[in-house]
Amino acid sequence: MADLRVKLGPLELQTPFMAASGTFGFGEEYASLLDLQKLGALVVKGLTLRPRKGNPPPRIVETPAGMLNAIGLQNPGLDVFLSRELPRLKKSGTAVIVNIAGDTEEEYVTLARELSRAGNGVLALELNVSCPNVKKGGILFGTSPSILASLVEKVRPVCTLPLIVKLTPNVTDITEAARAAESSGADILSLVNTFLGMVIDVASRRPFLANETGGLSGPAIRPLAVRMVYDVYAAVKIPLIGMGGILTLEDSLQFFMAGAAAVAIGSANFPDPLTIPRLTGELNKYMKKEGIDSLEEIIGAAHQNTV
Amino acid sequence: MFLSGVRVMETEEVVDGCFSLLLEGKNIAVNAYPGQFIHMRIADNLLPFLRRPFSLAETFPEEGLFRIIFRLIGAGTKILSRVRRGDVLDCLGPLGTGFKPCEDLRLSILVGGGIGVAPLLFLAKKLQEKGNKVIMYYGASQSADLIPVHQFLPPGVEINLATEDGSSGFPGFVTDLFQTHLQNGLLPEEIFACGPRLMLQKLAEVHRNKKIPMQFSLEEMMACGIGACLGCSVEMQRGENETVFKRVCRDGPVFKSCEVVW
Repeated sequence: MADLRVKLGPLELQTPFMAASGTFGFGEEYASLLDLQKLGALVVKGLTLRPRKGNPPPRIVETPAGMLNAIGLQNPGLDVFLSRELPRLKKSGTAVIVNIAGDTEEEYVTLARELSRAGNGVLALELNVSCPNVKKGGILFGTSPSILASLVEKVRPVCTLPLIVKLTPNVTDITEAARAAESSGADILSLVNTFLGMVIDVASRRPFLANETGGLSGPAIRPLAVRMVYDVYAAVKIPLIGMGGILTLEDSLQFFMAGAAAVAIGSANFPDPLTIPRLTGELNKYMKKEGIDSLEEIIGAAHQNTV
Repeated sequence: MFLSGVRVMETEEVVDGCFSLLLEGKNIAVNAYPGQFIHMRIADNLLPFLRRPFSLAETFPEEGLFRIIFRLIGAGTKILSRVRRGDVLDCLGPLGTGFKPCEDLRLSILVGGGIGVAPLLFLAKKLQEKGNKVIMYYGASQSADLIPVHQFLPPGVEINLATEDGSSGFPGFVTDLFQTHLQNGLLPEEIFACGPRLMLQKLAEVHRNKKIPMQFSLEEMMACGIGACLGCSVEMQRGENETVFKRVCRDGPVFKSCEVVW
């Protein structure tokens, strides 16, 4: 076995393949198909302080090489997460990263404080400032660099865990948000969340999704995401988690070479729930064949010939 | 729930545009019960990207075989309509919460609209095995769309057909045919239904008037199929004034009619 461990600043992972938030629930459903311990980390479904009902259906629609979703952050809220989901996740032995979202700065701060408490077994927090499917909060925090910086500055002092900020691609220049998050205290950046999109049902002459717009994911967005990881890698010094339509080992390698120190698998889990264990095995073989001792040797490799 | 390759044993176009696949998959054939479904990957290259859910229409546990029946409606079903004997398909299942008929049931009424009749075929067989009298109401828009349901049903199941254009059986909606029988003294103990939302909604009105327990199988777009992504959620009543979203793929696809918010 090649050494698949990766170090992202204060965060150490067994393998560089994480399950992306929203695609793996709280792990319960996938536990009968695969060993959750074999995941680099499981980023749980976006968590809010109070329970959220989510958006009315239809919430998803298939698109060319991908899908749109507008779930609307349906989740049971912090209390139920701490009493029911987290103990079960801890027992499974998986590395848990909690994705948190709020309507206000105070909600993010409360979530970060509660989840940072020692002994509850959370490995890191991912600040969701990029959900495109809720009316308040979410993406609003991620589209303005100054608002983002203010939020990260407030969360940082109460967050004793590694702090990941998940960036939205729905901006003119993603490197501005990346720099704002870095300078206000983020340890790691993850990118990208989904691209805002729409499908219109021509029979009813209305948007197909009840929420009208949704977030586009899947292989359709991969080249856009790779480009953004490449740009952000050049703009900041903190480590990156790359994601956007990864299906194969080659897709993952593109993200590593663009500058991601780890990657997250999202929509690919739907057609193939065993994507992560498969990629883990394939990366192991690839590293042996190429004589790569540590993944660090290829992270950002695509930049080396640029001036 | 199992993720495995299932082998195509038999393909048949049962009526124009409507296909039956007999598949070999021991785990699914042995463990599935009526109302459950499988989630099928369509293409290795993931075009189309997502799996497609199909209700189980029949199982043969001893032979390790099961059947799905589907209508060709889009890119996914088009590919699936072209598979051949011997092909192996990537299949996740059995999934979901199916029909839970009352134990002391003697007379069961099944109401199916269009391709929604598929899970009722499986249910009819099981209910009859348990000694139930089974009456099926089955409607489609025209005669040419009617699946030859008797082909998949044990003898003794009473079949009542309706077509909207009147080209076969009762002229009109299957719900109207059923209503006529209710007025003529039919006394259902429990009703099981699957079909277009409008059909189910009409049946639910019957429920409100006559207080007959009903179980409906619903359909929604699905991504994961196992309850993780929350993409297929539908609104359900919880108590008098509150509603929640439940997952068609895991909490359903079968729900009590009184739960559904129309």
